[in-house]
Amino acid sequence: MPRKTGLSIFLIFIFILAITTMSEGAFKKEDIKVFKLDNGLKVILYEDHKIPNISYYTFFKVGSRNERPGLTGVSHFIEHMMFNGTQKFGPGEFDRIMEFYGGANNAYTGDDFTAYTDWFPSQALEKMVELEADRMQGLLFDPKVLESERGVVASERRMSVENNNEAILDENVRATAIMAHPYHWDVIGWMSDILSWRREEVIQYYRTYYAPNNAILVVVGDFETARLMELIKKYYSPIPAQTPPPPVTTTEPPQLGRKEVVIKKEAQTPSFMVVYHGPKCTDQDFFALSLLEKPLLQGESSRLYRRLVREEQLAINVYGGIEEKIDPFLFSIYVKPRAGADLERIEKIVDEELNKIIEQGITEQEYQKALNIIRSDFYFGLQTNSGKANLIGAMEVLTGNYENLFHTIDRYSSVKREEIPAVAKKYFHELNKTVGKLIPQGGK
Amino acid sequence: MNTRKIILSLLFILIFTSGMVMSTERLPKPEKFVLDNGLTVYFYRNPELPLVSFRMLIPGAGTAFEPEGYDGLASLTAELLQKGTKTMSAEEIAEALDFLGARFGISDAEEYATVYGECLSEHLPRLLQIASDCLMAPAFKAEEYQKELARKKDSLKAIKDNPGSALRQYFRKAYFGQHPFGHLSTGTDSSLERMSLEEIKKFYAARYRPDVAILAVVGEVEKSKLQEMLKTTLGKWPKPGSPAPSTTIPPLPAPKGKKLLFVDKPDATQCYFALGAPGYPVGDKISALASVMNTLWGGRFTSWLNTELRIKRGLTYGASSSFQSWKNGGLFMASSYTKNDKIGEMLDITFDLLKKAREQGFSAEETESARNYILGQFPQRLETNGAKANAYLQVIYYGLGFDYFDRYLNEINTVKPEALKGVAKRLLPEKDFVLVVVGKGSEALKLLEKYGPFEVKKITDPGF
Repeated sequence: MPRKTGLSIFLIFIFILAITTMSEGAFKKEDIKVFKLDNGLKVILYEDHKIPNISYYTFFKVGSRNERPGLTGVSHFIEHMMFNGTQKFGPGEFDRIMEFYGGANNAYTGDDFTAYTDWFPSQALEKMVELEADRMQGLLFDPKVLESERGVVASERRMSVENNNEAILDENVRATAIMAHPYHWDVIGWMSDILSWRREEVIQYYRTYYAPNNAILVVVGDFETARLMELIKKYYSPIPAQTPPPPVTTTEPPQLGRKEVVIKKEAQTPSFMVVYHGPKCTDQDFFALSLLEKPLLQGESSRLYRRLVREEQLAINVYGGIEEKIDPFLFSIYVKPRAGADLERIEKIVDEELNKIIEQGITEQEYQKALNIIRSDFYFGLQTNSGKANLIGAMEVLTGNYENLFHTIDRYSSVKREEIPAVAKKYFHELNKTVGKLIPQGGK
Repeated sequence: MNTRKIILSLLFILIFTSGMVMSTERLPKPEKFVLDNGLTVYFYRNPELPLVSFRMLIPGAGTAFEPEGYDGLASLTAELLQKGTKTMSAEEIAEALDFLGARFGISDAEEYATVYGECLSEHLPRLLQIASDCLMAPAFKAEEYQKELARKKDSLKAIKDNPGSALRQYFRKAYFGQHPFGHLSTGTDSSLERMSLEEIKKFYAARYRPDVAILAVVGEVEKSKLQEMLKTTLGKWPKPGSPAPSTTIPPLPAPKGKKLLFVDKPDATQCYFALGAPGYPVGDKISALASVMNTLWGGRFTSWLNTELRIKRGLTYGASSSFQSWKNGGLFMASSYTKNDKIGEMLDITFDLLKKAREQGFSAEETESARNYILGQFPQRLETNGAKANAYLQVIYYGLGFDYFDRYLNEINTVKPEALKGVAKRLLPEKDFVLVVVGKGSEALKLLEKYGPFEVKKITDPGF
């Protein structure tokens, strides 16, 4: 969940498309340098001097996946508190200094990790290293500031969930489909938890997860590697390692039958979605599902868009797919129905289209299309320093090795078209399915 | 707060920024060539990745040129161009674009329409074929028109479910009124009832023409290859015999006195506001000063507005202000949102801050910070191929010159704090403004009484 932009993570799939071999272009595995400090901090650097700017991304291996009831949303809350003062720099100083030096920043929290993203002119480098190292260990959690920030997060939840019908439905469907695993709740957390986290619990959580041995630093842009490593050692080495956080051990039990959530709420148009339990992002099935989602529901030529939006005119839009997650998550199909559309009919059509894939697979043309989309999205993601930093870091956290960035196309290409029906059959079945409907009050 | 350390770090910055080198040519100069049909092309080769982006600007094809009462016509025209040509059905176009993994779209702004395309370099010939087919030979089938119109009507309903989206439409109507900039790209209930395919065809025939259009291409492609591709694609777009229609837009309205509108949405958990007043045209002498002033007042995270509303009080997730500029005028807008029972406090603070800026201006330290911020963030604004292509179009359309960004940033670098008070006085509203609030009337309206009588609309009333 981003700290500053108004975008809602509930609706935006950040498909981190990390996905091709890098035979072309200037961005090569060999030019990436990796270091590890004694306290466990992993540093990944890529020099690029095209513009006089640097993207400085810090990834912590903590997200809502690491939370528990009572503390839901706390990962995202700490993301906010990271801007609210340390022993060295008072509340608000981080942003004030950053902007004074010509830098800007943002941060986002997901289910699996939290990222802090800074962009600044190269001259500001040392100050930025100092600021980031400082807040890895020295947060104040001033009680007054904490209460004010609690209000900000509550407001964020009101805006992004409670005032947003799709997000309300999404939250309900997720919590219904996923029963045991912490993916059960959304990154923002439940309102009653937001209103009652205790300061000591928040501090304890920060100490455990914001440790150098639980972090990855990725820097891309206009710097010299040797000089930057000196700075990193100077500012980060004194930070002590912590006991590694406890592993997430809960495994979601198999679903035993179709589930349905119906929400009745004031609205002008209904909302509709279907989810199926899917694999984690390192599973071979993930690549098959990620391939088939393209002809199924991505773009106006996709099967579901054609049927629902164009031919039957039941919907305004269709989107979704499988998300990259450390643990098994969901394959989601979102349909924005037209006012008064028959939701049962929509569900039936979604079933029919999934069954066609189970029975006949996808065509050669669709298969090639999926690979073209994957390749083109990948290069577009690499256009900027920030794009490169984000892909490297996310890949490292999600799969345990950033080098997968350079190999994943092989994994996509290794999915044979003939294998797709079997994978579809494994996941798209009635017992594995949860349906969500938001019906405008008065019922249409 | 540790004041000593701040002062020390400020001294450090003063030393370090004076040593900053002002690099020139932020926007690399493109090559220019003109096709036989009058289409002007700007080209810059960037071999870094196997990608190409293009952008085309078609002056006069934007919402401001829709006939009165036909809100949404420019947008429907742009949409329908992608929904079937003489040789390709809508499905075939979508299939061809998706197959390439290409990005392509035609959309409407106030003054012009834009065409957007980017793809892997190897797919550029095909993408240009599709783009030129859409622009030159649209089919305008009745069936596609009916589908698009129905979709537009549905989207219009969905807008009213989201108070933030609804606010933008209500604000535009309230601020611009009968001026052509008051046309809503989303359409209105009545305009979509009145809409006709004949009007769309007329708009296309008069407004989409190669002789006034500008094309910018940036990425990995050789110039000679690009020229060959263009010859057989966009180069074949016939130039109409008639002279191009007028693209004159009347002066933008300037509110006199307060115009206050409240939109009642009984299920809203938050109140959203937008406050607007006149800005300045693109390229105006005041641009650099206004950017520095706005950066400090509401243009970045540590701005006065966001500091008071979000950082200090936790009233909101975000509060900001911006200047938007066109050829003959501009708009200042501030906006935020909060719980229904806090909207009074939020507006009080906002108006206090406007007053403070007009009366006290900004400090030397703040000015320095805003200058560094604008200069430091700028290089990223032109980092991608698409951003460069877009910058070329803006520079040409508004007649700014390719060195515009260098001149602008050099001016930023010389902005003095003394000048900012005058700019705030001129541009930040005091008595003449438009204020629109969307929220739950039963909680919020009583808190707004002191601002004067609001016109109250129900969100369920037709129109905006």
